[in-house]
Amino acid sequence: MAASGSGGSRADNGYGSQQPRRRKGPGALATAYLVIYNVVMTAGWLVIAVGLVRAYLAKGSYHSLYYSIEKPLKFFQTGALLEILHCAFGIVPSSVVLTAFQVMSRVFLTWAVTHSVKEVQTEDSVLLFVVAWTITEIIRYSFYTFSLLNHLPYLIKWARYTLFIVLYPMGVSGELLTIYAALPFVRQSGLYSISLPNKYNFSFDYYTFLILVMISYIPIFPQLYFHMLHQRRKVLSHTEEHKKSE
Amino acid sequence: MGGRAGFFEVEILDWKTKKQLCFLDKVEPNATIREIRLMFHKLYPRWYPARQSIKLDPKGKSLRDEEILQHLPVGTTATLYFKDLGPQIGWTTVFLIEYTGPLFIYFLFYFRMPFVYGLDERFTSSPHPVVNLACICHSFHYIKRLIETVFVHRFSHGTMPLRNIVKNCLYYWGFAAWLAYYINHPLYTPPSYGKKQINFAVIMFLLCEAGNFSIHVALSDLRRNGSKTRKIPYPTKNPFTWLFFFVSCPNYTYEVGTWISFTIMTQCVPVGLFTLLCFIQMTIWAKDKHCTYLREFKDYPSLRMPIIPFLLLKKKKKKA
Repeated sequence: MAASGSGGSRADNGYGSQQPRRRKGPGALATAYLVIYNVVMTAGWLVIAVGLVRAYLAKGSYHSLYYSIEKPLKFFQTGALLEILHCAFGIVPSSVVLTAFQVMSRVFLTWAVTHSVKEVQTEDSVLLFVVAWTITEIIRYSFYTFSLLNHLPYLIKWARYTLFIVLYPMGVSGELLTIYAALPFVRQSGLYSISLPNKYNFSFDYYTFLILVMISYIPIFPQLYFHMLHQRRKVLSHTEEHKKSE
Repeated sequence: MGGRAGFFEVEILDWKTKKQLCFLDKVEPNATIREIRLMFHKLYPRWYPARQSIKLDPKGKSLRDEEILQHLPVGTTATLYFKDLGPQIGWTTVFLIEYTGPLFIYFLFYFRMPFVYGLDERFTSSPHPVVNLACICHSFHYIKRLIETVFVHRFSHGTMPLRNIVKNCLYYWGFAAWLAYYINHPLYTPPSYGKKQINFAVIMFLLCEAGNFSIHVALSDLRRNGSKTRKIPYPTKNPFTWLFFFVSCPNYTYEVGTWISFTIMTQCVPVGLFTLLCFIQMTIWAKDKHCTYLREFKDYPSLRMPIIPFLLLKKKKKKA
C-alpha cells in the first residue's frame, strides 16, 4: 500500500526524546547502522525523484516514465525488506508482522504486478503510485534519520503526518488501477497459475488471487488511513503543547 | 458506616466508568471470589459467573475463584472492579463444534456432492485406493479427538469468549474443506512412490495417533482427583510416553507427526500447508507451556525441550 509505510506502528519511535522510554533504545552500533540505512534509503528515493523529473523534462510528457526509474525503484523498494529484520532483531520497536505486511505489499506490487506483467508498465497508474511512494519514502526515511540523531525539524514531522492525507489515497488509487489493468493479461497468459492434474495436487489461479487482493483493500485501507489521522492528531497536538510550555 | 464486627463490605465498580454496580454488606471474611461472583450474578442475572472478570485493579488481572476475601490486600471495605468478558462458551462445547465440522465437511467432498465438483461428477467415486484410505484416516483422527474431548480431557479453564469460536471454526472448517477438495478431486494424482509411500505414511500415522492418545491419557491421569493444580508429567510404562524425557508437550509433537504422515500419504500441497500452520501454532503453545513449567517448578527436567527433542527456540533478546 502506498503511504502505509509512513506511519502505522512506528509513530512512537519518531517521538525521539519527547516520549519517556521504559527501555533503552538500540545500542550505539545499531543506531549508527540505522542512520546509515535511513540516509542511504533517503538518497535512493531522491535518485528516483530526480530521475522522474529529468525523464519528464527530456520526454516532454508524463507517460511511460517507469522505464527511466525501473532499476532504482526495484533496488530500493526491495531493500526495504531489511526493515523486517530490524524489527525481528529488536533494533526498531515496531511489530514484525505489521512491518512485514506493509513491506511485502509494496514488494508484491513492484515485482509480482508491475515487473511481471510487462503490458502495464506503460500505464499512467504506475506513475501515480510511484510518485506517491517516492514523496512518502523521502519524507519517511529523512524523518527516521533526524529522529535517530535527535534533531527532528518540525517541518519533517509535519510533512510526515500531513502529506499522507493526499499521498495515501493517491498511491492506493495507482496501485488498484495497475492491478486492474494487469487482469486481462494475467488471464490470457495464465501467469503464475497452476491447474489440475499435477503431482502436487494443488491449483492456483493468479487472476482470482489478484481480484481478492483488490477486494482486501476495502477493509484495510480505511483502517490504516484513520489510524494515521488519529496519530496525526496525537503527534501534532503534543508538539503544540510542548511548544507552549517552553 | 463501618460493617458489623468481623464482616466485610464489598463494593463492586464498573472497571471503566467506576460506577458502583453493587454493594454487598455482611460478607464473610473467608468468602471466596466464587461466592462473590454468585452473589453478583443474583443481582445481575445476565452476567453469569463465567463472564465476570473481578479484579482488584481496573487494569489488572482477573481474580481466581479460589481466592479468599480476607487474604486479599483490601481493607474491611473492599473495592473490586467488574469487567464483562462477553458471552462465554465451555471448552468441551468448543471442541465438539470445532471437530465435528471437519468430519462432516470431508464427507461432502468424499461422496462428491453435486455442488462440489459439478453435476457430471456427482456421487462418483475415485479409482484410487489411497483416496479411501485418506478418508478413513481423516475421519479416524477427528472421531478420536471427539472421543477424547468427551471422555479424556480435563480442562483447567471452564470457558472461552464466544466470538473466538467463529474464528476457530472458520480456520478448522475452512482448511478441512480446502484439503478435502483436492484429495477427493476427480483429477487427483496418487503419490509418486506408490504403495511404498502410502504404507510408510499409514504406519507413521497409526504410531503418532497412538502416541498422541497415550499422552492425553497420561495428562488426564495427573488430574484424576479433579484437582486444577499443575503437575509435572512423567514417562510411564507406556513406551509412547517416553517422549516426555525429551519434550514438554509430546502430544503436540505426535500431532504434528500425524499431519506430516497425512501429507506424505496424500502428497497434497494444501495438506502440507495445513501441517506447517499446525506446526507453527503448536510450537507457540508448546513454548508457552514449557516456560510455564520452568517458572512453576524449580526441579523441572533440564533435558526437555518444548516440542522438538533437543531443539529449543530461544526468545529474541530485546535490549532491556
